[in-house]
Amino acid sequence: MVREDLGLTGSKKGCGIGDCGACTMLVNGVATFSCMMLAIQADGCVVETVESLAENGKLNKLQQSFVDLGAIQCGYCTPGMLMTATELLRRNPHPSEKEIRLALSGNLCRCTGYQKIVDAIKAVAGE
Amino acid sequence: MILPRFDVLVPNSVDEAFAMLSRYAEKGIRILAGGTDLLVDLRRPIIPAAIPSCEGCARHKSGSIRSTVDCGWWESDSSRESDRALLTKVQDSIHKYPEYIISLHKLKELRGIAVNEKVNLRVGAMTTITDIERSGIIREKWTALAEGADSLGSPLVRNRGTIGGNIANARPAADTFIPSVALGGVLDIHSEKGSRKVPVDSFASAPGETVMEKGEMITGIEYPAPPEFSGSAYYKLANRKALEICNVGVAVWIALEKPGGPVTDIRVALGAVGPTPILAESVKEVLVGKKPEDANIKKAAKAAREDATPIDDHRGSAWYRSMMVELVTDRMIRLAVERVGGKV
Repeated sequence: MVREDLGLTGSKKGCGIGDCGACTMLVNGVATFSCMMLAIQADGCVVETVESLAENGKLNKLQQSFVDLGAIQCGYCTPGMLMTATELLRRNPHPSEKEIRLALSGNLCRCTGYQKIVDAIKAVAGE
Repeated sequence: MILPRFDVLVPNSVDEAFAMLSRYAEKGIRILAGGTDLLVDLRRPIIPAAIPSCEGCARHKSGSIRSTVDCGWWESDSSRESDRALLTKVQDSIHKYPEYIISLHKLKELRGIAVNEKVNLRVGAMTTITDIERSGIIREKWTALAEGADSLGSPLVRNRGTIGGNIANARPAADTFIPSVALGGVLDIHSEKGSRKVPVDSFASAPGETVMEKGEMITGIEYPAPPEFSGSAYYKLANRKALEICNVGVAVWIALEKPGGPVTDIRVALGAVGPTPILAESVKEVLVGKKPEDANIKKAAKAAREDATPIDDHRGSAWYRSMMVELVTDRMIRLAVERVGGKV
């Protein structure tokens, strides 16, 4: 629904069975695998996708940090990583590296570029 | 990976949910809670246990087609009529999807953690694993349950997955099921006709099979108040730290007369080493009335190993699991005793 009916193609479809995290969105502020949710379950909920992050047409701090620190290889996992990190930073603005790694443990990057992703989140969290 | 066709029912109250469950019971209805199991199972191409391969017929050379489903050889050969019956059976299992899905997402009353005046803990069936993980009171008093929640799936799975769903699916490795057995949890099961209470340790009858009947639904789970000088612990032994199913899971709940004093009661639950989570009864016989000392704990861990009935599968061999049951039980008893305030 999100990708085809609403045309918001930022969220990616990966495994489709709740393993990879590429389709992560925030539903009422909670990071959620959208593949594990029927559209009807989102009735009345606030759903945020990666398209909601940019502010006034410019990348937000977290997105810019991903770009600056090279936390993107193929980019397929990036929307999910950004959404999970967004939830983490809202809940805990200054997470430790361990907390960042724990929060990302349901988002897989098959380029295995995890270190850069953790660095990019740390850079924003350290401010 | 497209979902099959089904209709979704969204009740606005639990009574409406019970009515829907009984009304559609015969048509095939499944309860949708967090969806982390159900939506996966619905998408997964269901492969029947035995699709016969085509051994070669008038139409196809041997091995040229993957199954009789695509072959249809009985059409030209009446002696193969029995295959048609087999095909019908195979197709039935392929198409055995529920006609209705009942989604409980609007039933807020099923979600929540509460401690009543008797200090019993009640967790609503729709309470997410994340809610349990972040509950201070559960971590303090029903520690094993919090540790089960910590180790389930990944944060994203925990955000959606519910304790009711985790238990209802009755998988032998379910990370909140195993501690619930050790902690003496009792399920509230309701239907249009009434309600009953079922102890978690007698809920599952086989992998994925339970004592639940058509039209019934779990509404919550209650755990008894922990007595003074009691403690619990859960450990999931697995190959990875996240997104994993355990090789062996052990939950221990122990009550002592005083810190370091004799054991008054103990419940050890073993996961992934039998068709359902197992309550290791013989540990009780070995340890109750004795001091939690090194030699006694070693004997108790051996007893737990005897109660386990592991099998070989891709996650580990029966031999390895059997050894690990003993090791992990030993460590968890010690940890639980330490949490009561004693030293081993």
